[in-house]
Amino acid sequence: MEILRVEGLSKIYGSGHLEVRALEDINLSVSDGELVAVLGPSGSGKTTLLLCISLILDPTGGTIIFDGRSIFQKDGWTGVDIRRMRREKIGFIFQSHNLIPFLTARQNVLLPLSLVGSKKEVAEGRVRELLEYMEIADRADFLPALLSGGEQQRVAIARALANDAKLILADEPTAALDTARGTRVMELLRRIAKERRAAIIVVTHDVRMIEGFDHVYHLKDGRFVREAEGPTGAAVRA
Amino acid sequence: MDLAANDLRLHRGRFMATVVGVGLLFTIVLAMNGLYRGNIQEGLALIRSVNPDLWVVERYRGGPFNEQSTMPEAYHYNVKAISGVERASPFIYYAVERQVKGRNRHFSIVGFDIFEGVGGPQKIYAGRNIARAHYEMVAHPKLGVKVGDVVTLGLHDYTVVGLTKEAVSTDGEALVWLSLPDAQEVLYQKDNEEIRAQRESLLRDLDKQTYLSQGQAEKLSASLPPDTHIINAVLVRLTPGADHAEAAGEIKNWLYLSAFTTGEEVQLMLQGRLSSMSKQLLLFRTLLLIISVVVLSLVVYTFTMEKIRSIAVMKLIGAPNGVVIRMVLEESLLLTIAAFLLGVLIIQNTYQLFPRTILRVPADDIVTFLIAVAGGIFASILGLWEALKTEPALALGT
Repeated sequence: MEILRVEGLSKIYGSGHLEVRALEDINLSVSDGELVAVLGPSGSGKTTLLLCISLILDPTGGTIIFDGRSIFQKDGWTGVDIRRMRREKIGFIFQSHNLIPFLTARQNVLLPLSLVGSKKEVAEGRVRELLEYMEIADRADFLPALLSGGEQQRVAIARALANDAKLILADEPTAALDTARGTRVMELLRRIAKERRAAIIVVTHDVRMIEGFDHVYHLKDGRFVREAEGPTGAAVRA
Repeated sequence: MDLAANDLRLHRGRFMATVVGVGLLFTIVLAMNGLYRGNIQEGLALIRSVNPDLWVVERYRGGPFNEQSTMPEAYHYNVKAISGVERASPFIYYAVERQVKGRNRHFSIVGFDIFEGVGGPQKIYAGRNIARAHYEMVAHPKLGVKVGDVVTLGLHDYTVVGLTKEAVSTDGEALVWLSLPDAQEVLYQKDNEEIRAQRESLLRDLDKQTYLSQGQAEKLSASLPPDTHIINAVLVRLTPGADHAEAAGEIKNWLYLSAFTTGEEVQLMLQGRLSSMSKQLLLFRTLLLIISVVVLSLVVYTFTMEKIRSIAVMKLIGAPNGVVIRMVLEESLLLTIAAFLLGVLIIQNTYQLFPRTILRVPADDIVTFLIAVAGGIFASILGLWEALKTEPALALGT
């Protein structure tokens, strides 16, 4: 089932001679259980693409269809409750974990659940399940500062999964980790996509980390470019 | 989940330091509230304690407390002759500094007619009231004396026969009650040597008068003793049913004196002598409250700016503004309330150590608390402003 479809998406900053075309004619499709990578060097528009998909930034043109509903057309957001959609249907993973430093690992995962008003017992059970799934239950009551980088990232992933998000957006999730830990995180994401049927888009510049991804998009100067062969053997789209 | 409490728990060192700092500021504010109340209470204590129907003082004067008023003692006979006056009692009040039990003490003396009774202490908690016309005194314990002690004032010794906490002087110092002639003597009776010097001076002046012989001048100078029969006010009790305004009007018109009811006397003090102190204290309290709010603002702003990225993350994962507002506001209010409670705790345990009376009034605490809470809300505005304008995109580092 298709979770996200992006058609002809563009984003232009400024106007006149200051105009910058950050994204141009972006087409993208992700289904549940799919793991998609967007590869590109710094400044290619990867993060802008994530911001547009996650309803944080207004695109300049194009269409976004999310979970079967057109949420953005050329005239703007189609009456969608942006914040509600973000907290109920989209999970975020960041390069620097971005855990709330004054909340324990357990509370960080609990936060999205409390934002949607989950019952306490249900939420606590869900948090326990997720922390066990991420093999970090024994660190549940530790503050982020007392966790290693890999542990923090696993807590961040658990937080992204808390509300059973249909779409998970990961911005350079391995950038702050060494290769071994980075590889483990990517394995985890693959497992999540397969087992939990979440659609996952990972933005990265590290080609070593996208082994086994279903689709890889190459972004250059705000456009997807076709490549003869995917760097890891994955299907390459343009 | 209480985000603010969790944040403050992580930063408990800074939280405690802020609470102590602002708490001490609140202590001073609360102390000044009490000082203001104490200033009023002490300033009016004697007026309220004496509480005659009318205070008769020198014409055009607002005496005897708000400003000086003097008149011949015999005037109280004139006042008594006014219709509606049941009792008219001479009264004298003045501040002195004397040695009491080897220490310099600043206190005020009240002289009253012990037979008329008006103006004397009503509630003696140790010993008895003055019963003899001379050489007995009733004192406030602030003077540092006890019943049976002997205190030398001027030329004579006075025995402490009773103690009362009924009133203090308008400056918050101890009060000493003496019989009227004793009080007049302490105030006006000069040292014998000084009397001799004055007589000689008078004799030299009289010698210059050609119509007086040497013998006449000597007799005259010796027969002019210093006049001690001066009073500050006449305290009036009216007959039941007598009209205060009417009696006061007659005294003003016929005796060329001023007459005030106790209520008017209170107003004279509030609008005169006590008002500048009250304004001063109000200004200090306002300044301290402003300083407290500024300190709280800076702390809340710093707390907010330190977690601006966390706020961006919260917004990114869909937290409504209400969650962010609640967190910032709650931190500000927790700081304010904790600091205020510390202030109350400190002042409640130390107010008796202050040299001036700190009168604790629950209503003052409640009003100050409400102002502090309003200040705490105001203090969070800067932090809220920064928090609300934070873009969720900041979480992604853009």
